[in-house]
Amino acid sequence: MTAIYSNSTPILPRSDVPNADPDASQHSFDVYEVYQQALADEEISPPLAAILSLTELVTRSDAGTMFELVQALNDGAESLKKRVPNPIGLTAGCELFIGFVTLFPHGSANFSELKREIVHQGKSYTSQVINFRSKIAELTLGFIKDDSVILTHSYSRVVIRALLHAHTRKRISVYVTEARPRGLGLKTYEILTAAGIPCTVVLDSAVAYVMNKVDFVLVGSEAVVESGGLINAVGSSQMAIIAKAENKPFYALAESYKFHRLFPLSQYDLPTHHSGILSFVHPTNRPATEQIKPSQHDVNVQNRPLASLAQTPISGQPSTASPQRTMTSEQMGKNPDVDYTTPDLISLVFSDVGVLTPGGVSQYLVGMFAGL
Amino acid sequence: MSSNSQPQHKPRTPSLLLQANGPSQNDPPPTGAPTKSQKQMTKAERREVQERQRAAKAAKVTASGPQSGGPLAKPQHPSSSTSSQPKKTGRGSESPVQSRASTAAGSSGLPNKSTKESKAAAATAEEDAAVRSRGLRIFSHFALQKPTGHIAKGNVHPAIVRLGLMFAEFKICGANARCIATLSVFKRVIQDYTTPPNNTLSRHLMTHLSVQISHLVSARPMSVTMGNAIRQLKMEISGSDIDLPEQDAKDALCGKIDNYIRDRIIIADQVIQETAMRKIHDGDVVLTYARSSVVQKVLLEAWAGGTRFSVIVVDSRPMLEGKRLLSALVSAAIPCTYLLLPALGSVISEVSIVLIGAHSIHSNGAVFSRAGTALVAMMAKQHAIPVVVCCETYKFSEGVRLDSFTKNELAPSGDSFSCFPRNRSPASLIIQNQLNLEILNPLYDLTPPCSITAVVTEAGVIPPDSISSIPLALGRSV
Repeated sequence: MTAIYSNSTPILPRSDVPNADPDASQHSFDVYEVYQQALADEEISPPLAAILSLTELVTRSDAGTMFELVQALNDGAESLKKRVPNPIGLTAGCELFIGFVTLFPHGSANFSELKREIVHQGKSYTSQVINFRSKIAELTLGFIKDDSVILTHSYSRVVIRALLHAHTRKRISVYVTEARPRGLGLKTYEILTAAGIPCTVVLDSAVAYVMNKVDFVLVGSEAVVESGGLINAVGSSQMAIIAKAENKPFYALAESYKFHRLFPLSQYDLPTHHSGILSFVHPTNRPATEQIKPSQHDVNVQNRPLASLAQTPISGQPSTASPQRTMTSEQMGKNPDVDYTTPDLISLVFSDVGVLTPGGVSQYLVGMFAGL
Repeated sequence: MSSNSQPQHKPRTPSLLLQANGPSQNDPPPTGAPTKSQKQMTKAERREVQERQRAAKAAKVTASGPQSGGPLAKPQHPSSSTSSQPKKTGRGSESPVQSRASTAAGSSGLPNKSTKESKAAAATAEEDAAVRSRGLRIFSHFALQKPTGHIAKGNVHPAIVRLGLMFAEFKICGANARCIATLSVFKRVIQDYTTPPNNTLSRHLMTHLSVQISHLVSARPMSVTMGNAIRQLKMEISGSDIDLPEQDAKDALCGKIDNYIRDRIIIADQVIQETAMRKIHDGDVVLTYARSSVVQKVLLEAWAGGTRFSVIVVDSRPMLEGKRLLSALVSAAIPCTYLLLPALGSVISEVSIVLIGAHSIHSNGAVFSRAGTALVAMMAKQHAIPVVVCCETYKFSEGVRLDSFTKNELAPSGDSFSCFPRNRSPASLIIQNQLNLEILNPLYDLTPPCSITAVVTEAGVIPPDSISSIPLALGRSV
């Protein structure tokens, strides 16, 4: 909670300064910068940062009517979406805030008062959000048995919160995936180990290997979509499929501001998908480059004594001499950041509005948006 | 099936005679069954009674020889095809039997119709036997195709008679088209209507419309869309102010109808087009089945919007509706492939999205659509291809539908002939209902919600089972 206030206070004084010259403020004000600043806070997730930056936009805006204000907000949201590589979480936040502003009761006498009220509501909402996570952690606790083995994926604030909360009451041990390429699983590992929770990092490719040992899977989410499905760091979908195959419960944790009015039909229907992802290298340069590169590797591999080959995986510390086969950034660019987990693979979604089945999530979302 | 219904019947004719004649019909003799008046009986029961009476009559005439078919044979079994049993057929066929029956009896079932029927029976028994087909009892409740020339009862507006004929001949078909046509004709009916003295419009117009509606229903069963629209219209009528001058009230109602068509169908379709075309990406292969007006608009709109995709139109007999869609798409220069349902398996792996229309959608998310849709959807599901249904919210029908047997229609059997072998003339290959042949072409089937990925409505893209969460679909105006 304090984190929010400490984050929002530096924004407030700055907002007062350029008010003398509203035109200049419109030009100098960059919603993206505010967004980035908000994101710098460890506790702020993209949807929240979006809400914060749009709140800031309202304070700065010189809009005289509701229409102008909503227009400005839409423009701000649009410019944010363009500059962020993965706009899904952000869009959920923008959608929520703009919907909130549009439906805001026009009780106030004059418009500037209304704007102040909107800003106040926006700020108080973001400050409540930390409570959302505690509430989710409390809900999750009921589903964690003593001595549970939990598998989680990558790094998620709400999952960490839930695990730390569970640790105070019950004995748990956690497997966390490495979550390449960003390796955020290691961050989870550090936090959990520091808190005294037995934790082991597993390879993303070892999920099937570890699945039989775990009691359930717990993942966070980037967004929960209208189908009741989940958008999360890449690898969640395969984890859900494996969990389903072994009949392990797959739980997703999501604050309600991550509920997003989006209906992906498949992985390739996500807003993050573009033609570059999963594209093939043009075959013309294959004979020139691609054959040489592997052959170099092959030579190196053959030159190495067999013993060292056998040792590297065991020690887990590949010797600097041996060539580490990693993907180039170009190869990495052909890979997705997030994937879509279909609702039939998800057991339950824990959110601050309650524990919902995927069907319940979709009905909640349809009721929230389609009822308009 | 027959064992369930038999104890309820109490035939008027002496049971002894019947036993001698048609053992399969009244075995066991319905002694303990309470006597029902004709009005209390269901349609099916009344039909049963008529059939027995007719059989009795025929038995007197021909002095009924021994039955070749076993007494336990199903009533519709074609084994005993003597003229002594002319009335044992199920009702599911579009044969002249029904044409005569329905002209005589109408849809509401007159109390004296059985006597009429039995008089007529003897005279026409022979020709009945020649042309009648034997319906499968399980499909006997499927809506009958009424003959085109059936008599309009009561004060039916000429425009309604015309519309009824067009419905019956499938000149107008498709849930949207029928709903729009019905509402437009109702506008004329309302304008031509004058409230009789000592009556109010808000009360009397309803009864006047009911006559028109029952005429339309007798031509072809009402679609869910029509039902929803008519329910809304009736609500508007009953809510109209008594003190309003008649012409004003009529104009107000017509305005309401126009708004309904605009909001729930035209605008809804436009919103669906915009939403659904965003689900089509460059390079996609879109598969569609038969023809849906919404899907056609979506495809044309997406193509006009610059998305470059190709379409596979899957079609099937007997209606071959996909041809119309195909011609529309081809004239817009969209690359198309046309194939019939049996070939679906060969192309399904190429498909990136399946886009289908709907007749109606039910609370549990089941979609009632042209027969064959379920097959396409299940096949796509099997290959993990997203199945998207384009469906306006006014097609929502409260209630749960679990199969497509409980309520269905029969397709017109116009085109069900084979073109093989080629050395025989096409005319000789046309299949028609015969004594031992029943052509069964259900018009609709039910796609279970589990094989549908998403439903595109004007309220957004939703999972199939969330349709009941949309207030608009429930008829609540916003």
